[in-house]
This record gives sequence, structure tokens and C-alpha cells, in this order.
Amino acid sequence: MNTYHLHYFGLLADRRGSREETLQHPPCTALELFHHVFSASGEASSAGNRAAVNDAFVPWDHVLADGDRIAFMPPMSGG
Amino acid sequence: MNALVRFELRDSALEVPALLAELAHPAAGAVVSFDGRIRNHNEGHHVVALEYQAYAALAVPTGRQILEEEAARHEVLGIVAVHRCGPVGIGESAVWVGVAAEHRQAAFRAAEAVMERLKYELPVWKKETYGNGSSEWVGPDRLHPATGAVREGDPEWKARLEQIWISAGNDFRGHHGRQRGDHGILAVAEAECVAGMGIRGDRYFGYKPDFKGQVTFMDAEVIEAVRKHSARPELSGGEFRRNLIVRGVRLGDWIGRRFVFQGITFEGTEECKPCDWMDQAVAPGTEEFLKSACRGGIRARILTGGVLRVAGSC
Repeated sequence: MNTYHLHYFGLLADRRGSREETLQHPPCTALELFHHVFSASGEASSAGNRAAVNDAFVPWDHVLADGDRIAFMPPMSGG
Repeated sequence: MNALVRFELRDSALEVPALLAELAHPAAGAVVSFDGRIRNHNEGHHVVALEYQAYAALAVPTGRQILEEEAARHEVLGIVAVHRCGPVGIGESAVWVGVAAEHRQAAFRAAEAVMERLKYELPVWKKETYGNGSSEWVGPDRLHPATGAVREGDPEWKARLEQIWISAGNDFRGHHGRQRGDHGILAVAEAECVAGMGIRGDRYFGYKPDFKGQVTFMDAEVIEAVRKHSARPELSGGEFRRNLIVRGVRLGDWIGRRFVFQGITFEGTEECKPCDWMDQAVAPGTEEFLKSACRGGIRARILTGGVLRVAGSC
């Protein structure tokens, strides 16, 4: 099992009901972890969302390492 | 040009005179600044409060990268931009962009480009609170806050993205009468489309302002027809050096029109005409075959940014 530190922003934080949490999960990709976290809340599609690992954007097929800090982000809305 | 570039994420009021002073430069003939403020209404709702949530550790390098990229493609002397985070009052400045340049045209263009990109690329999210006490995360402009998809307006493609190809350099363009280039072309499962710039990592990324060929589309069925026509069943979709190989859409119908594909808004600009390199790269007669019915595909501008993914990879 790996330890993942998760951070959620905007709408995704509301959906998850928290801004951050730490999870134990078998080794997986960013997309697999996204599905694991959000499948229960009906937000299983990652379309339009982005992932970051250790404060850098990553593609969804990025393989996560033990201890990574992972952020899931809905579409940005600056300005 | 070695331009001054500074981006800041700030949780207190902006000090515009100090920001303008940063842009003072003896060679500057123009300073353009944009001051984006919080208005008291949005889409028919009375807005009483607004708050930005920011991912600061990512927003600061992302903002800086946007400024550096825009400074590199416009003739500017300096760009300073500041975005607020936390609660921002009605009438206060939420974002400020200032550009100093020798001439006004570059300053106007760079300021607009930076502002557009900050809206879609900076990892900050805005939440509005309304007069009736309810509050809501709002998406960028007309885009849906959860998916980034358009809520109204531009038609959406019901198409399948089969392949994405990017290349670091031109193999054909500019090589007339010489050997073709050999930069290779890379198949990727995901590609970041940046508004007004192109696909990150591709040869045309940031090529020039308002470029018509920020991205190119080609029909998978045409590639299959060429394979058959040229008796080369092994022919790679990358040989055509188009970026996005799609199925299920008549590309020729989208020239001069806006459309949405995977949540990203594009504007078709013109036919992507085949060149005579096709006869060498593929087989004699290929150029002629691609010349009719818009088989060479189309070129397009990226109007809103986002990430494209090949079907089956998400």
C-alpha cells in the first residue's frame, strides 16, 4: 500500500467534503486515484479536471509514488 | 529581449501606482494596464461577496510561466501581473496586468493574451455569494464549473479523438527544394491546448500572435483511404504531420466556425492544404488525393485552453 496526501480545490473540495486527506491505496495512476475518490459522489468523470503531483501538473496516466502530494482541480476560474 | 517579468498572488489590496512604477523603462513608448474588478452582478444574480481559492504552490509558477511565454512572443519590455486570493470586495481589483513595450500594439496584445490565459490556466477558483445568501463556484466565463464544457452557444463535436501527434520542429514547411527535416513525431495520449498559443511541446506553440494553424485536425477515415489508395497498410497517422486525428466529424464543415471538442473551444480557420512532400513521404498521387473534399484536414485556433485526451485513455 502507498500513502497519498490528497488536496482538493473548488467544486471538488465541496464534493469530497474536505480540502485534504491522507489515504492508503495500492500503487496506481492519478486517474485511478481520482476514480477511487470520486466514484461514490457521482463525479466519476475527470473530463475538464486536472491533476498535479508535488506542485506540478501531471497527465492523468502519471504513476503515483509512495508519499506523493496529489491535487485534483476542477476547471480554473481566474480573472 | 530580456524582459522584466513578475507575477504575484496576493491576499490584500493591489497598489496600482507601485505596480505601474515597476514598469517604468526609458525605452517604453507604451504601457497598457488592465484592472479586472469585482462587479455586483453576474449572469443575472446580485453578487454580494466573492472569494478566490488558490493553489498557491502551483499558481505562482504557472502565472510566471504564462508571463514568460507571452513576453517571449511579443516585443515587450516588461510584464507584471497580480491576482488576488481570498475574499475580494465588490468594486475591488481582483486581477491586474500591466505591460510595457516600445510600441502600443505589442503592449495591447500581450496584455490581452496574458489576461485570457490567467482566466483559464491559473489554478484559482472563484466562489460567488448572492443576495439570497446562496453561494456557488463559478466556471470561467460561460464554461461549466465542473467539466469546463460550454453551457450554451457553440456546438459540441460528437467526435472521437483517435491520435494526437506533436513534433518539436518542421519537417516540410520551409524545406522546399531541400531535404525534408527529420524532427520525428511523437504520439501522445494527452495534449495541453493553450488558448492563442497551440499545443504545448508542438512546433507551432506560440509561433505568432493570432496564428491560424495553432492546431490541425485530420479525419481518421482519410488516413485509412490513403493507406488503401497507396497500398501502404502500415502507414502511420503521424506521416501526415497533423496534430489531431479524429473520427465522426466532417472537418470541411467547420472552417470559419467555432466548435467545442472535449470542453475546449476551437475556431476552424482554413483548409489544411496538402503539400507536394506528401507524394514523397507517402506515395505518388497522395497530394492530389488529399486536395479535394478537405481531405488534408483543417487548421484551427484555440480559443479556450484545456487538455485533450485520446479516446480510451480516460
